[in-house]
Amino acid sequence: MISCLIVDDEPYARQELADLLLQAGDLQIVGQCSNALEAMQAISKHKPDLLFLDIQMPRISGMELIAMLDPETMPRVVFVTAYDEFAVRAFDNHAFDYLLKPLDEKRLRQTLEKVRKDLRPKSLDVLMPQYLEHLPCFSANRLKIIAVKDVEYVFSDLSGIHVATAKEKVHTELTLKVLEEKTPLLRCHRQYLVAPSAIAEIEILETGAEVTTHSGAKVPVSRRFLKPLKQAFGFQ
Amino acid sequence: MSLILALTQQMCLYLVIVYLTSKTPLFKLFTENSTRLPHKIFIYLVFSAFCIMATYFGEQAHGAIANTRAMGAVLGGLLGGPATGFLVGLTGGLHRYTLGGFTDVACAVSTTMEGLSAGMINLYLRRHGKSELVFNPMVVGLVTFYAEMMQMCIILMIANPFEEALELVRQIAPPMLIVNSLGAASFMSMVRDQKTMFDKMSSTFSTKALKIAERSVGLLSKGFNEASSTQVAQIVIEETNVGAVAITDREKLMAFIGIGADHHLPGTPISSQITMDAIHQNKVMFADGVEFPYSCSISPNCKLGSSLVIPLRSDNEVIGTIKLYEPKNKLFLNINRTLGEGIARLLSNQILYGRFEQQQNLLTQAELKLLQAQVNPHFLFNALNTISAIIRRNPDKARQLLQQLSQFLRINLKRTTGMVSLGDELEHIESYLTIEKARFIDKLKVSIDIPQELYAVQVPAFTLQPIIENAVKHGTSHMMETGIITVKAIQQDNDLILEVTDNAGLYQPRSDSDGLGMNLVHKRIQNLYGDEYGVTVEYEPEVFTKVNIHLPNKV
Repeated sequence: MISCLIVDDEPYARQELADLLLQAGDLQIVGQCSNALEAMQAISKHKPDLLFLDIQMPRISGMELIAMLDPETMPRVVFVTAYDEFAVRAFDNHAFDYLLKPLDEKRLRQTLEKVRKDLRPKSLDVLMPQYLEHLPCFSANRLKIIAVKDVEYVFSDLSGIHVATAKEKVHTELTLKVLEEKTPLLRCHRQYLVAPSAIAEIEILETGAEVTTHSGAKVPVSRRFLKPLKQAFGFQ
Repeated sequence: MSLILALTQQMCLYLVIVYLTSKTPLFKLFTENSTRLPHKIFIYLVFSAFCIMATYFGEQAHGAIANTRAMGAVLGGLLGGPATGFLVGLTGGLHRYTLGGFTDVACAVSTTMEGLSAGMINLYLRRHGKSELVFNPMVVGLVTFYAEMMQMCIILMIANPFEEALELVRQIAPPMLIVNSLGAASFMSMVRDQKTMFDKMSSTFSTKALKIAERSVGLLSKGFNEASSTQVAQIVIEETNVGAVAITDREKLMAFIGIGADHHLPGTPISSQITMDAIHQNKVMFADGVEFPYSCSISPNCKLGSSLVIPLRSDNEVIGTIKLYEPKNKLFLNINRTLGEGIARLLSNQILYGRFEQQQNLLTQAELKLLQAQVNPHFLFNALNTISAIIRRNPDKARQLLQQLSQFLRINLKRTTGMVSLGDELEHIESYLTIEKARFIDKLKVSIDIPQELYAVQVPAFTLQPIIENAVKHGTSHMMETGIITVKAIQQDNDLILEVTDNAGLYQPRSDSDGLGMNLVHKRIQNLYGDEYGVTVEYEPEVFTKVNIHLPNKV
């Protein structure tokens, strides 16, 4: 059985796709999500083989979503779109799988056959935005979209990944690795990333260093990451 | 007594000359209170000549000359200032000196003194900001009177022998005092009248021009057609009082008002040669009825006797003419000729502006048409996908949705950009929202709170729908929570305010094409109703966006 996840903000659109997929027989629908946040949670929870992803979604588009996924848990993606000239052109150019709404059963069957032959995820780098502009976060069960430029630092602990701005600390599903790659944040510690623009001062300590941000927060710097951090500011 | 008569006669001769000069443009120089050198030279020359002539025409009396020389010296001083007055007096005095007689020195000195003192008075009045008094005949008369008194004193003091001088003064003082004072006063009174006439004329002229401009503003900018031309012609004839006014385009008569309106019928082709010449040569044509005969090209019984044809231009291209006529029994006034050219310029500008505005309007209309024809493809395909999903479960509902979609598309495709009732616009919105609600089910709530009595209000088509579509597309569809859109209509005095509020608060002020829909609605409302109407936005990020559409309340 191929496990698959449907992500679309329109309930009927999800239902329609689910109906068609169930007819195929060898597909198991592990979840249906109505936005990118739910999708990230479901992907890290179910690790599906196949992702049916609508591009136009509230706040965080399908393209941004794949940029936020850890490459290790990236499933094979089939894009679904009602109308998006540019995306469709990109899909065609790189032979990515995509479906157009309203869904055509024949076309869906062809796509599924292709997927069954080779379930390995394709690299979607050409489609993804190079940098994220905003991060989907949670704060006490409330959804929050944090602009990357507002982030001072990010850290991980046992409860997960936390994003700190001058005003608050919120939880995110994004991994440190993705954040390091897709944002201007710099690694300063095994468990910390810091925004260079948020650094007010760096105090050199025996164990490494300590960054004070503009809002006054302290961020540890390990000896291993001190040198690259200093270099980022032009120190040798 | 005979001396008074003789001198008066002489003065009258002067006044006649002055009166005649007052009809020439040269005379305008007297009416100016200027301190420029050429003006002063002119004053000097004229009044020195005056003095010299006065001496020649003077009456021989007791070995001296009774004369009106003082007039020249005093007027020269009053109009030209101390230096000019002095020179005029000196010139007149030296001339008198060359003629000899026992008062030669006394006369030369006194005339110079007269000119100089009148000049000093001019200077005094100017310094005290009362230079207008120079033109007051009363003042001039008095000044001359005193100047003559002074002259008499000087004669008594200088001329020898004293007895003869005394006898002379006794003889000539009364006539010279009276005639010179009266003459100078009359002269100035003539200058003053001429001056007031000039001022009055130019002020009537400007008043007329301004009045025409004021009354006709905006008329032609709404379009150059028979109706607007007739209105303009009516205004022009009322303000200029000419016999008739006509406005033509390049081919035909657009409007004709006044004498001869019975056979100069709007809509008929242009028949007069001078109008065609004006159009083809882009030149003002004038048939004054005297040197250049004018005869009506339509009827031999036409009473019109002179005609001025001025081309109306738009971008250097002649687009028509305005014609002023006077009947055969009336002269074509120069003022109307100048005024006519001014009016033509004014009207040309208005037509040009109107065309520009019209083009702007057309552009907005075209953009709007494009916008409405451009059903958001994303919306359309998603709607079709939704319906295709619903068919499986609820064919009846799917059929309903298809009906709504068809209705939406039909209205979008065929509706003009004209006016519709608010009720019709709401119906269109209803079909749109039915589909959007089907797409998002419980994630989109819309409440429309518009009193039934406002349904008849006329609004420009596609005013509310694009704003609501924006609220969904850029607002609620980006919400993770339930999107709520409220639509309200508020009657405020004579205005109608439509409010569209969403709870997304994702509005971003920007000038690029993303706000195209809203911009177009705004631009069109402003074009239709003026700057006080249009679309405004209030918003609080992540909380709400409220779009206000401000319209006049028209049923």
